Amino acid sequence: MNILTVAINHHTAPVEIREALHLNEDEVRALTLKAKEKIFKEGFILSTCNRTEIYCIPKNLNTLHKDIQDFLLNEKPGLNVSGEHFQYFSSTDAVKHLFSIITGINSQLIGDNQIFKQVKSSFQIADDLQSSGFLLRHLFASATHAGKRAITETGISEGAVTISFAAVQLIEKIFSSLGKKTALVIGAGETGEIAAKHLRDRGIGKLTITNRTQERADQLAETLMCSTIPFSDFKKQLHQFDIIISATSSNDLILTKDDISTSIKTRKGSTIILMDIAVPRDIDPESKELDHVFYKDIDSLNIIIEHNLKKRHSEIPKVEKIIKEELEEFSSWYSSLDAAPTIRTLREHFENIRAEEVKKNKNKFTESDQDKLEIITKRIINKLLHHPTTELKKAAEQENDSAITKTKVGILKEMFGIDQHHPENNEKEK
Amino acid sequence: MKPFIDTLNVLLPILYIITFIIYSYDFGRGNNKYANSKRLFLFITLLVHLSYLLLRTMKFEHPPITNVFEIFTVIAFAIAFSYFILELLTDIRGTGPFIIIFSVLFQTISSIFITDEFFVKEVLKNNLLGFHVFTALIGYSAITISAVYGFLYLMLYKEIKTNRFGLIYERMPNLEVLEQLSFYSAVIGFAMLTIAIIIGLIWLPQAFPKFSFIDPKIIGTALVWILYGVGILSKVLGKWQGKKLVAILIGGFLIAILSTMVTNFISQSFHSFY
Repeated sequence: MNILTVAINHHTAPVEIREALHLNEDEVRALTLKAKEKIFKEGFILSTCNRTEIYCIPKNLNTLHKDIQDFLLNEKPGLNVSGEHFQYFSSTDAVKHLFSIITGINSQLIGDNQIFKQVKSSFQIADDLQSSGFLLRHLFASATHAGKRAITETGISEGAVTISFAAVQLIEKIFSSLGKKTALVIGAGETGEIAAKHLRDRGIGKLTITNRTQERADQLAETLMCSTIPFSDFKKQLHQFDIIISATSSNDLILTKDDISTSIKTRKGSTIILMDIAVPRDIDPESKELDHVFYKDIDSLNIIIEHNLKKRHSEIPKVEKIIKEELEEFSSWYSSLDAAPTIRTLREHFENIRAEEVKKNKNKFTESDQDKLEIITKRIINKLLHHPTTELKKAAEQENDSAITKTKVGILKEMFGIDQHHPENNEKEK
Repeated sequence: MKPFIDTLNVLLPILYIITFIIYSYDFGRGNNKYANSKRLFLFITLLVHLSYLLLRTMKFEHPPITNVFEIFTVIAFAIAFSYFILELLTDIRGTGPFIIIFSVLFQTISSIFITDEFFVKEVLKNNLLGFHVFTALIGYSAITISAVYGFLYLMLYKEIKTNRFGLIYERMPNLEVLEQLSFYSAVIGFAMLTIAIIIGLIWLPQAFPKFSFIDPKIIGTALVWILYGVGILSKVLGKWQGKKLVAILIGGFLIAILSTMVTNFISQSFHSFY
């Protein structure tokens, strides 16, 4: 299996180098086309904020990892990058590396399912640019299958691992339907914006934003299609909100325990959630002592995140088992592309069809003609299969274990429906 | 038929314990591996229990409500059955072990102490009494379930408040759902207990002309009824909710249990059947 991988990622290189080598979609497309011309027989490029990796089956058998690495570095000249910043993988190891990436266990944030979409989109670009062939398409299918299995069969992607998601997860552990709830986001900066977007995405009933600079609040409200209230007024209306998320850059407390206590009394004890995701904090932490008040700051949310990350780490052995199974499946499929077993399977396939048809129709012939029917149909099959069989044998002798032979064998198997190791076929069987 | 009834009597606590273990295992692992099989096992247990109750009724020619241990087996069935229906309706499967444990307890006590009551007191052979017992048992099952959900609410409330995000946090539905489950169960329990009390008050003077209104059973039942009434009314009027409401509902349940124990095992009451 002549698959080569050259990778630079968070395991091998600092963020400055990863950033410098990052390719946007247009750059990936341009580089893929260039690589197709010079290096790739088949190949694709994966570039995210944490990694830039090239997977390919080179045109020339003598192509080395170093050649691919130089090809990549030529695109970004002047970088202080050495060989130590790269990882090289070949053959089964390359496939295994791809599987570990798509399943999320190779990510900086274990179980990050964003990578699944990123790998798929890299596959798609390669497909669009006709840089993927028979082998790579099968690799895509196997990798996608492994990724899906990891998500559905294990808890590798379960639980919130970012502050804003942890906040939403916690809110959903208190309230059953966000559609009936009202939320106030104090602060229209980046953190406040992310929190507001999460709430809107979760279908919050009513979203309101307040900010010291009204103009900024209006801008965000327009983007999120929600309302605003003047910063000078929001305390008077505090009781109207079930969820309050505060994310300002204020150095002083914005909401005191008394403010919350007054609000709770007006709400007749109805539960209120306070998410203080500002540093320094905006809401008096003493508020957590009040009944019906759930106060959480960044430290509290970090407890949830750490807990979830720990659980994700404990799922890694299950994902590794899936990778092992998928790798065996892929290797077995690859081995099945050898010429000799394919010729045998192809002949058996044709013989089965012939025997079945003869059995069905032999009563239409006289007894003496039935023997002739056998002989004639066998002769037809032999003649039909003579040329493909000879060609396959010739290809195997001349280019033993080459990608060309594998491709020919693979196409033949696909065309006649005798590709028993294809993951999609297996899925159907299951 | 008698040996078969005796076999079922021994088998039932075992079945409930196994059901409880499967539910607890699934709760502990949290992977819902046995999500469907545990439900099936509970269903089988309920079928066996129903057969046992019917066979007892046929064999001894009276429904199993004439002494406290017969009533315990009916309560065990009513609790498990109510939970089964609730699980089907809401698809909330994580709370099972906390409710089935009550069926385990009631059935085990019943199976150990139950006797074959061939002779039934004349006073107990009455249709009104049948309705009274039926509604009271449903009522008590409902308030038991209400208390369990209330208790789970308090546990989850505490975990969230104190940042200890453990098993309860992971496996339980959210606080609002737990409060609703507890409240609706309490409403059903309150309605059934109201009917049971009304029938009881009609039947009581006929059966016991010399009864006293300061009988522990009447005082206990009145207290429970008032407590639930106040709790439900406060929630409906929007005055109490969340932790306060749940605490009232749990309080009602505890008084109901205490009242039953005092009436049946300690003091002398018209309601003592043991």
